[in-house]
Amino acid sequence: MKLRFENLTKIYGERTVLNIADAETPSGIITGVVGPNGAGKSTLLNIACGLDEPTAGRVLYETANGVFTDRPPMKDMTLLSQKPYLIRTTVEKNIAYPMKLRRFPRETRTGRTEKLMEAIGLTPLAKQKSWKLSGGEAQKTALARAISFRPRVLFLDEPTSGIDNRSTAEIESMLRAECRKNGTTIFIVTHDIAQVRRICDHVIFIAEGRIVEQGKAAQLLDTPREELTRRFVGGELLY
Amino acid sequence: MDYILDGIKKAFELIASFDSEIYGIVGLSLFVSLLAVFISLLIGIPLGMGLGTRNFRGKGIILRIIYTFMSMPPVIAGLFLFLILMRRGPLGRYQLNYTVTAMIIVQICLVTPIIIGLTYNLVRDKAPEILRLGVTLGGSRWSNFLLLLHDLRRGLAAAVVSGFGRAISEVGAVMIVGGNITGKTRVMTTYIAELKSMGDYSRAIAVGIILLLISFIVNTFLYQVQQRGETE
Ligand SMILES: Nc1ncnc2c1ncn2[C@@H]1O[C@H](COP(=O)(O)OP(=O)(O)O)[C@@H](O)[C@H]1O
Ligand SMILES: [Mg+2]
Repeated sequence: MKLRFENLTKIYGERTVLNIADAETPSGIITGVVGPNGAGKSTLLNIACGLDEPTAGRVLYETANGVFTDRPPMKDMTLLSQKPYLIRTTVEKNIAYPMKLRRFPRETRTGRTEKLMEAIGLTPLAKQKSWKLSGGEAQKTALARAISFRPRVLFLDEPTSGIDNRSTAEIESMLRAECRKNGTTIFIVTHDIAQVRRICDHVIFIAEGRIVEQGKAAQLLDTPREELTRRFVGGELLY
Repeated sequence: MDYILDGIKKAFELIASFDSEIYGIVGLSLFVSLLAVFISLLIGIPLGMGLGTRNFRGKGIILRIIYTFMSMPPVIAGLFLFLILMRRGPLGRYQLNYTVTAMIIVQICLVTPIIIGLTYNLVRDKAPEILRLGVTLGGSRWSNFLLLLHDLRRGLAAAVVSGFGRAISEVGAVMIVGGNITGKTRVMTTYIAELKSMGDYSRAIAVGIILLLISFIVNTFLYQVQQRGETE
């Protein structure tokens, strides 16, 4: 699903924290969203996924027949944040919950839940209560839950910050598989440029609420057009 | 000292003998308080949730009123309801004073603020992240409400038990609107007060023990719910 941002603005008090004049994002691939702290990345994701409202401007979503609508398709998108909330029940029930909301048949729910747990190494924890999970296990559960209903767009806000390497690897491979198999459009905010190189096809670089530059991952990381991008990907501490 | 020990001994005899007067009164107490709590939670939980998840003008003053009502002395609630239900009062034509209905209504007035207030506190702290999840997963308003109920169930159970504790143990309100009429509106607490004034201490102690037992059972149930939530 392509997204279009039109004059997208978010203002808190006197401060403009987001101001994107006009941009379109690619469909069916993994897009990294990078930039300094406070650049507006989370604000952009929250607005794009329909959790937050812009002060001005709008986000347009591509529908199945190629036209764009400004109504967020809430049933077809989801957001995974850095500290996701897990429902106070078992791992498997957490994963099945979005499918239950959508009244998927029972066989589909159990079948997919089992497959997802297998793929991400949660099968032994199927009956474990959510509040007994480690950070990595909790994040894997939340990811499996987020993709269980096959969203068309998946937004991830620093999903692997503070997560152990093994879980990070499992999460990354699940994201790649999800994108390849189901054509899911994925946006991932990350601080980890190495992670961008590992999984992203496309990158959007944001600073001070604006899209400074976007392009193919290799191009943006290796031959950035903008001076600010060059400094950021070069590891300079921007603020 | 003897009259106390003697009273306790006779009390257990009365309890064991299934004295029909005592058990009729216990039954009425449970009926009035349970029904009042049930109606209060149907009113109080949605209102507490609404207050905890929405912002609007006048919310501050509403909350202060609710907090005041949470600790309102039952006699005052009883007095107000009595005046309203009095023959020449605004609702006088229903002739509800000295009926079980009036007792249930007055207990609803005492319990609902407690359930609203405790639900509000719970929801204000925990609801935002739960609702955020519900919204990001594409849930409807109704399914998000059910998700809140599910994940806050232990805290809500505690609120309901607190409300029940207030209802079953208060005496002033049911005394005023119920009138402690034999075989009609007499409940455990008003019966104890009456037995005391008649000097029948053993019966008073017997009823007191039953009241404590009920409280113990209810709290055991609550404790179990909370333990299960943490360790299962
Ligand atoms: N609710 C809010 N009220 C006021 N300022 C906010 C609020 N949320 C975010 N901000 C500000 O908006 C800016 C962008 O925040 P955010 O989108 O979280 O940045 P990022 O995710 O890129 O680190 C920050 O300066 C932050 O302080
Ligand atoms: Mg952020």
